[in-house]
Order: sequence, then structure tokens, then C-alpha cells
Amino acid sequence: MTRLKRNLFALLQPIIAVIIGLLAGAIAIVLLGDSVIDTYAEMWNGAFGSFYFLTNTLTRATPIILTGLGVALAFRAGFFNMGSTGQMVLGGLAAAITALYLPGPGWMVLVVSLVVGMAIGGLWSLFAGYMDAKFGINLLISTLLLNYIASLFAGYMVAFPLKDQSGSAAMAQTPMIDKSIWLPKLFSGMSLHAGFILAIVAAIALYIFIQKSVSGYEIRMLGNNPFFAAYGGVKRGRMMVVAMLTSGALAGLAGAGEVLGTQHRYLDGALASADYGWSGIMATLLASSNPLGTAVAGILLAALQTGAMGVERNTNVPLEVASVIQAVLTLFVSARFGYAFLKRRKEKK
Amino acid sequence: MTLLLEMKNITKKYGDFTANHNINFDVRKGEIHALVGENGAGKTTLMRMLYGMEEPTSGSIMINGKEVHFHDPSEAIRQGIGMVHQHFMLFPSFTLAENIVIGGEPKRSGLFDRKAAADKVNELGQMYGMPVDPWRKAGDCPLGVQQRTEILKVLYQGADVIILDEPTGVLTPSEVKELLQSIKRLAAQGKSFILITHKLHEVMEAADRITVLRDGVITGHMESNTTDEEQISRLMVGRDLIPMSRVANEPGASVMHVQNVTLAGAKGAKPLLDNVTLTVRQGEIVGIAGISGNGQSELLQVISGLVQPDSGIVELNGKDVTGDSVRAIREQGMAHIPEDRYMWGASREATVLDNGLMGHQHQYKKGGLIQSHKLRKVVSGWVERFAIKTGSLDTQAQFLSGGNLQKLIAAREFAQNKPFLIAAEPTRGVDVGAMETIHGELLAKCKAGDGILLVSSELTEILKLSDRVLVMYEGAIAGELSAAEATEEQISLLMAGGKRQL
Repeated sequence: MTRLKRNLFALLQPIIAVIIGLLAGAIAIVLLGDSVIDTYAEMWNGAFGSFYFLTNTLTRATPIILTGLGVALAFRAGFFNMGSTGQMVLGGLAAAITALYLPGPGWMVLVVSLVVGMAIGGLWSLFAGYMDAKFGINLLISTLLLNYIASLFAGYMVAFPLKDQSGSAAMAQTPMIDKSIWLPKLFSGMSLHAGFILAIVAAIALYIFIQKSVSGYEIRMLGNNPFFAAYGGVKRGRMMVVAMLTSGALAGLAGAGEVLGTQHRYLDGALASADYGWSGIMATLLASSNPLGTAVAGILLAALQTGAMGVERNTNVPLEVASVIQAVLTLFVSARFGYAFLKRRKEKK
Repeated sequence: MTLLLEMKNITKKYGDFTANHNINFDVRKGEIHALVGENGAGKTTLMRMLYGMEEPTSGSIMINGKEVHFHDPSEAIRQGIGMVHQHFMLFPSFTLAENIVIGGEPKRSGLFDRKAAADKVNELGQMYGMPVDPWRKAGDCPLGVQQRTEILKVLYQGADVIILDEPTGVLTPSEVKELLQSIKRLAAQGKSFILITHKLHEVMEAADRITVLRDGVITGHMESNTTDEEQISRLMVGRDLIPMSRVANEPGASVMHVQNVTLAGAKGAKPLLDNVTLTVRQGEIVGIAGISGNGQSELLQVISGLVQPDSGIVELNGKDVTGDSVRAIREQGMAHIPEDRYMWGASREATVLDNGLMGHQHQYKKGGLIQSHKLRKVVSGWVERFAIKTGSLDTQAQFLSGGNLQKLIAAREFAQNKPFLIAAEPTRGVDVGAMETIHGELLAKCKAGDGILLVSSELTEILKLSDRVLVMYEGAIAGELSAAEATEEQISLLMAGGKRQL
């Protein structure tokens, strides 16, 4: 297969997966006694039906793409970073604190806030890598558990020391960030902000990094066969630092982007409960860790979620139909691993 | 002797590709019939059809004069055909008896009767002169015993014709001798063997008849007492092999020196490396012989920086590199053809191009990016020079045959052009033509004044290429022989732990 074909294939895979998911969803809708065509028409409208809905979908896709890219890089290096939610939460919190308390011109505070969010997300991720390298603590487990620590810590911070005292609402959240520090909206009156541009740039940059750069090559080989990489002089420790730091930084950027572009404050639970982190992992798996494919899959998954809201607004079909479709997608991802395995066995014969 | 099995006008096509063309092949009762040929000549395809794993495009298979059609191996087994695969198919955590009776377990009141199985295995072992301990776990047995178990398994299934696919690849010289004796004895008792191999001295020693395949057609068919190794290899390769002679260089300064290197084993076990000292000088090939598992792998890992020794030093080009990173050691002047191409030498999922880049990645770096245009040209050059059969440079390595992947790895390491090369099993699994190319490259490199450390389980390879031979036994150097004095017998003795006798 040529390289171009392989890239096209990586883009095609999430689309095929979504089509199969939609077929399964259709069955669920039929069982509920509703019209499949009407429901899916509503879903389409809810996701892409107007410029407003389209930008809404892309807004939702932004953190999914960014966390997905982070996970993709870690997966490529053979590290199972399941901690994107926690990295995103801490990145978001750090960005909020910086934006609230750092003096200076708005654009500069914005840039610094984004960078601090990335740094904190990256360090949180690297911490798990450090524990793996130093104490042999399984990365899968440590990244997973660090999510809870991050979420609960952030929850405490906004419930007590950083709590917004100005409003009447007793919500666990920071005060509103000054307007001059917000990520600019791309279109007036729409939710889409500059974070989406950052996500697309990150996808392209990560693609080039993984496919074309020497470090990306070393990361790929490390993920494919760590013995081969060691034999060829690739330093696992250094690659782990690069991969985990970058991976966490992308998740941190996702959190900072949400805080500075959408919420404009850190609101307890807003990042974790929306499951951006998990959707990001899902996008990566659908696209076999290809950055460009991850971006496409991220938009599709966001469309599924915003579309389902449209369905619930306008039909009797409940929001959960989207969960059915997502569940089938998950199945499809695992089935594809099985298929790849079978294919390999066949070609060996 | 009566004709037991006959394959008539067998042709097998895969699309446009003809793997076997009009092959006639037969086996008599009680004979050993060797099937020889290079990788990809069509030996395996032919045997897969006989064993029911493939069906011929045209042609017929007759057993005892009756035509048969096999759709899967179980039908072939029922007709008395058994196959011992190149890679043993034993369950390491099962006992030998359990492995042998698998699929036909003796039962008592519906339950597996282990005692009866063990008795049965003892009986079989006695009958065929291949005793094994039925209660031992397969994983704990040496490879020779595992192979014997495979043969007993096939005999237990009632095979009259036994296909042995490259049976000696993993065995020590004494185990090979034992195996050949066993199959000769079994043949005398009326069993027939098809021996697939490319080791010609084994063919000459054991076979009654020889059939040579090249590119899917039969190029020769003879009685073993009317031919010799040279004629067979000519028929296999289709041309005369250029006899390679080693010109003894005057060795120069040391390029690699290992001093008193020790590496501890697991707690209580013997050390993996026991005070090893050796030197490789410019313009010489130092061969390391030994039964695998006697410290060769560990020695190479220490030299290449993958494992740190507990004591002792490694010097490369006069610089102490002990404790340096793999990359630093490579840059100090080492290239390395690793012993296990799939574990150390390649990534199956990566493309030919990516596999070719390993170890060169910092030479093809510009502004952090890979200079892929330049790299493509270089790797294409290797593909041409070593006749590597691959779809394209973007084909994944897992789709290359083992021999072709080995050629790619060898080409990659020769291209490093470093003053010291580790060549571990450089020709494992490659065919005669490729072996000739790789041996030629090794000798040329040596002639150019570089030092080579050759580790091989093939004694013929060691003897053919080395200026000096070191034998490793239980992690220590058991003896050193010069090219002039080294003989297969002497090396075998040292390999088995015997003392050096002069």
C-alpha cells in the first residue's frame, strides 16, 4: 500500500465505523417505533444543519481533537496514557488561575495562560511517566487514577480558596475571567473560538512530527517494537519524556481552550463530566492513532453528540440513542483489532 | 521397495504466480527422500498440498495406488501422513506425554488417563528407539528432545510418511547426529520420511533419494550415492557457486576488546557471563561457536550497550565505552546484525524504509526531519544490491519473507560502514544465494580492514569465515582455536563442555 493510500484509509476508517454505528442506531430507533429517516435528519440538522449548529459541533470537537491527539502520540510510543481527563482538568484550572491573577495586557496573559495550561497538563502526565520509569508503576493504572486526584483537587480549589464570591449563585467555580483574555470567537455570535484553529494546527503539526521527524520516527519504532528501538540506539527514557509531556500538554491545551474560549472560568465538573477525555481516546482508537484521522473522528464524535441533542429537542427519540451508536463504535474498534489480527494470520499463510 | 505415495503432475498457482509447475514426486516404503531447494523454490507449497493445507490447481495425489483428496490436515493424518513443523508446536506447560497424545488421549471412564498416556509414550519410545521422559514438561526440555517428542506425536497419530520441515535448524551438532540416526532407524523399520532442508551434508548423510526444486520446477532427481553436494547446490541455485576463499589478513590494532566481563544470573544461578575476555582486531573475523544459551546473546548485549555488565570493561577503537548508551557506542564505531531479526532487528509493522532507517536516523536528519528522498535512494540501492524481494519500500516488513528481511537488516548494518561489526547468525534462514552474498560482504569488509565478531550456531559458517574461533560454554570462553587448527570435532567437544585437547 502506498503512503497516500494508507493515509486515506486512516481517514476512511472512522467514517466507516460511524456508518456502522448509525446502522445499529437505526435498529434501536425502529425498535422504539420512530422513523429512522426523520430521526437521522434531525441528527444531521442538529450537527450540521445550519451554520450555528456546525460551529457548535466544531466547538465541541475542539477539546476532543486535542485530547485525542495527545493520546495518539502516547499510543504511538507504546504508552497507554489514559489520563487525558485529569491532565485537561489541571490544564484548565492552571489556565484559569493564570488568567485571573497574572497582570499584564490581555493578549499576553492569554498566551501565558495557554502555555501554563499546557505545561501543567504535560507535567501531570510526565509524573505518571516518572513513576513508571522510577518505580515500575503501570502507566495505564497510574494515569487512570491520577484523573481522580486531579478532578477532586480542582474541585476543592474552586469550592474553597478560589471560589467566586461575587455572584449570588453558590456554585463551585472561579470568578469570571476578564473579557480581554478570552480566546477570540471566530464568528460573532457563534460559540466557535480560536481553540479550534489551534486544534487543527496541532493535528497537522503532530502528523508531520510523527511521520516526518526523526524523533517521531523513534517514537513510532519504540511503540512498534521497544527491543528494536533499543537496539537502534533510541533512548526509551527520553522518548517517554517527550511523548508523555507532549501528550499531557495537548490535553492541558484542551482544558485551557475550554476555560478561555467557552466557559471563561473554571467551573467544577464542566470538563470531566462532558467526557471530552474519553471521547478523545475513542477518536484516537477509531483512527488508529493517525493524527489527521483523529481530527476527523473527533469532529464525527462531536457531531454525534450535538446531533443527538437535536434529536432530543425535536423528536420523541431520547438522547441515549447516541449512546447506542457510541457503544457500537466502541465494539467496532475492538472488532477491528480482531480483524487486523485475522488478516495478518491469513497473509502469513 | 513399494511405492507408498505418489504426487503426479502437481501444479499450484496463486493468481498469475506458479508456485509449483508439473511436479512429480513419490515416496517408497522405508525410504528417506530429501526435498531440497532455496527459499521460495516451492518445497513448502508442495508439502502443504500433501498435508492437506492447500489444494493443488491440477494434478493428483495417490496413496497406495488410490487417489486421495485432502481438504484439511486431519484427513491427511488419517491417511498416515504426518508433519513435523520447523517451529515446534508443543505446549510448553504440558508434559511430553500430554503433548504426544493430544487429540487422541487415552481415556478411562471418560476422563483423561495420564498414566495410560505415559505408558503409551514409553512403549512408543521403546519401539522406535526414541525414549523420552513422559512426565517432563515440554518447556523444560532441550530442543533435541522437543523434536523427538514431535516425531513421537506424529508416530502416535499413526503416520507412515513423516514430513520433516527443516528439522535441524535449531539443533546442536550432536543432536543433529542423533536425529539422523533415529530417522534412519525408523526408515529401516518401514517408516518413510520426506526431509526438507537446505543443509546438503545432512542430505548426503541421511537421504536415499534427492529431489531438487528451483523456482517451482524439478531441476534434479537422483539417488544419493550417485551425486555430490556440489552437483546438488548447482541444481538448487542454477549456476556455479563462486568458491570463496578467505585470504588471511595480517590483523592490525584492536577494534573491540572485552576485559573480564561478568554478568550475574538470577539469584543462585550460574553467572550469565563469567569473566569473559576477548579481542577483535582490524582485518579479522573472530567466530564464536557454542550451543545457543551459553552466554552468546548476553555477550553481544553487553558489547552493544543494551545491558550493563556487573564488572569488566568494553573498549571500542581504544575508548572505554562501558556504560555508554547504545547510540554512543554505535557512533563510536559499531554496527550490529542482531541474532533475532524479529525481536531485535526489525519492526514488523513498520515499512521497509523505516526498518532501513534504524541506526541511521541521525545521519539522515536535517532540521529535525528525516531526509526521506535521500533515504529512499539509499534503501533502493540495498534492495537492488542484495536482491531483496519486496513489493515496494512502503511494504510492511511483516510481508517480507524471513530471508529477505535478513538481507535488509544485513544491508542496513553493512551500510553503517563502521570499523567493528557484530554479525550474529547473519545467514539464519536465508537461502544459498543470499548466504553467498552476505558471506561475500563479510569477507570484503574484513579485507578492507574492519573487525568482525561472528556468532553462529552453524559450525560450517564459523569454520568457513573465521580467522580465530572462540567457543563459549556456560558463560565462559571454553577455548580458542586458530583457523588452521579448528575442526568441527574439536569445536563440538568444547561446545559440549569438554576440555580442550591438543
